[in-house]
Amino acid sequence: MTGAASGPLDGFRVVEIAEGVAGPAIGMQLGDAGADVIKIETPQGDRTRAWAPAVDGRDSIPFRSLNRNKRGVVVDWAVAADRELARDLLADADVVIVDLPELPHADLDPKRLSEQNPRLIYLAVSGFGAQGPWAHRPAADLPAQLSSETTASLGVTGEEPVRVGTDVGGMYAAIYGVQAVCAALWERETSGLGQRVDVSLFGSLIAMRSTLWVALSNPDEWWGFHLDSYAKPPDHGYQCADLPIYFSLARMDRDSMSALLADLDMPWVRDDPLFPLLAADTGGGTGRHAHEVHHLWERGFAKWPADQVMATIERHGGIAFPMNDYARLVAQPQVQATGVLARIPDGNDSDEFTTISPPWEFSDTPASIRRSAPALGEHTAEIQSQLPRREKVGPA
Amino acid sequence: MFDLTLWMVGPWASMQLGALGADVIHIEQPDVDPRTLGAGVPPTINGTSCGYIAWNMNKRGLFLDLKAEHDRETAYNVLRTSDVFLINMRPGAAERMGMGYERVAAINPNIIYCAITGWGEKGPMRDRPGADPQVQYFSGFWSLNGQRGERAEVYRHFTQMDATSGNYAAQAVIMALLARKRTGRGQRIDLSMLRATAALQTVGLSAHLATGEVASPLGSAAFATAPDRAFRCLDGEWIGISVTSEPQWAAFCTAIECPELLDDQRFATNQSRVHHRSELAALLEPRFASLPRHHWILRLDDAGVPCGYPLTFDQLRHHAAVIENGYLPEVQTSGWGSVFTGGPPWQFERTPASWSGTPLPGEHTADILDEIAEAKRAPGSDGR
Repeated sequence: MTGAASGPLDGFRVVEIAEGVAGPAIGMQLGDAGADVIKIETPQGDRTRAWAPAVDGRDSIPFRSLNRNKRGVVVDWAVAADRELARDLLADADVVIVDLPELPHADLDPKRLSEQNPRLIYLAVSGFGAQGPWAHRPAADLPAQLSSETTASLGVTGEEPVRVGTDVGGMYAAIYGVQAVCAALWERETSGLGQRVDVSLFGSLIAMRSTLWVALSNPDEWWGFHLDSYAKPPDHGYQCADLPIYFSLARMDRDSMSALLADLDMPWVRDDPLFPLLAADTGGGTGRHAHEVHHLWERGFAKWPADQVMATIERHGGIAFPMNDYARLVAQPQVQATGVLARIPDGNDSDEFTTISPPWEFSDTPASIRRSAPALGEHTAEIQSQLPRREKVGPA
Repeated sequence: MFDLTLWMVGPWASMQLGALGADVIHIEQPDVDPRTLGAGVPPTINGTSCGYIAWNMNKRGLFLDLKAEHDRETAYNVLRTSDVFLINMRPGAAERMGMGYERVAAINPNIIYCAITGWGEKGPMRDRPGADPQVQYFSGFWSLNGQRGERAEVYRHFTQMDATSGNYAAQAVIMALLARKRTGRGQRIDLSMLRATAALQTVGLSAHLATGEVASPLGSAAFATAPDRAFRCLDGEWIGISVTSEPQWAAFCTAIECPELLDDQRFATNQSRVHHRSELAALLEPRFASLPRHHWILRLDDAGVPCGYPLTFDQLRHHAAVIENGYLPEVQTSGWGSVFTGGPPWQFERTPASWSGTPLPGEHTADILDEIAEAKRAPGSDGR
């Protein structure tokens, strides 16, 4: 399935000189939206090719899931002919994504590129921003999560930090990077000019926690909700006889609450000294006192299967949801019904690979997955042959 | 941009577009109860949810009662001069308000109509409530987090699924505007929080689909790379280090003066280090515990190995790495004094984005109505 692109970014050419998560996720999203993305790797290849897990000795799943919809070219920056190929690609590119703390060659200097191609949008991706004392610290998710205070919403204060298991530093920088590229392309329609834009893992994670920064600025009264989460214990949800659930009683009146407790066979809870808190805390699982009465609810839920507890809560006007792990998530009818999963046909062999669809559904210019991640240098010859031949003027 | 959004996910999307320069007109009901703004998420500032203040920057405020005939006409007049319509309500709600896609596109065929929902326009969960916490539980985002060997735990800052989905929606809106330059047509965009949070987890979910394995919490450690976790140092402080490539592994072993690790076959490749993650950590723990954190930061920074350490809000807002990049600006709001917030995550060299304070609900109603009247009177106007 290597059909023609028809996405919203059809016709734009993107060169990706980046590895890891953030830069490649930007290239992937732009490719999903229809852009022609060419990934330049060094002869060593993107580091994520060697990450875990890998299946059948192939490139890792992280690499294969972040590099669809790209063609791959190898450039050794020490070799003049390779640099010439990169120069040719950049000469008529619309966008270049660069995530290198130190440029391998002066050819990649943003000012030089801009002189050569004034319409080029140069997106620089870094760990901690282009300015300041950490500008040269290399990017990685855990350092950015720690420094942005992201990890304060997990684990136990003072103990080993708990990271967000998803690479949110890289992925959020990618999401903002795509916004930046699209906004710069839009602006270029008026000015005719490209420009440099910077995004970082650190800055993106800080932006994502804006609600908290506002809350901390000048609150009328500080007791939090979920914003004081560093002061609360780890929250595992509510374990039922089989599976965990989560619930909210936001719209539940006193009579419904009584009926709910009766249906769950929890008469003993009325004798507990914490019962007034439980009865008053209509937030249920997310309420102000949730962690104080958590054990009471779990004791009540322990003898019923999750499906039954959820149905009982909903019957009385509450909201209850399953807490899915990945196996339970991908089996959900809603996941199947809304096209969350996508299959990537895998190039020349018959192996197929299941991954996640782009998030947007465009009625007129649909996003698409057109090709699987490239083998190292898979398209070097093809792309070389497609470039217009340039007259050699003097030594490279 | 006609911003018919409420709570977080929609307002977050339009706030990004406002910072990028769009003129965002945020609609509120004239009789809105201020205690319900921002879903009432506490704490409040001057009685208004911090959520409302945090999610509605970079906009102008317009009061419209869409249940009233006259105001609906005004809304249609605003729509005629808009490029983008944004809504986050359950499927069917827009149609009941006279703001469905067919109606809006009939008024303005060039409009980009973006509808954000919790679970999508199809499927058995179409009409289920889709707030941030529910999406986190359902999507499995919580299931990778937790202390090593413990049950997985929820991310205790219920805003991230909303912000993620809003950010993807903002991308889609600009993409559709770019497409309109080429096609000359507007279009409809649907974005569900379920698909957005799944997309955020592309790597982890793809790994599950490929291996069948269900991830269990690893504390500070990464599932893809090793060593990539936090260690406690002599002074009791934690340092996070991330070795993500072979050159970094060599630099790391040299920097911590453990060259023997380079000859250990168990640690010869990233995948073998991941496989022997616990043995490797057991060797590194006493090493990090033997010297204070600052020693390691200096050594690892010098060697080009990614490292970092936890900061609090109070440390962050005074930190040069934050200030010099403009990441936590203090902005003036209309009703709630000056507040800190996450500023522009993008730094444009030539056309900088700007972050401006939150308007009061309906604050710019008179101005906007004047502009609409002016647009209708303008010579050459086709009366649209």
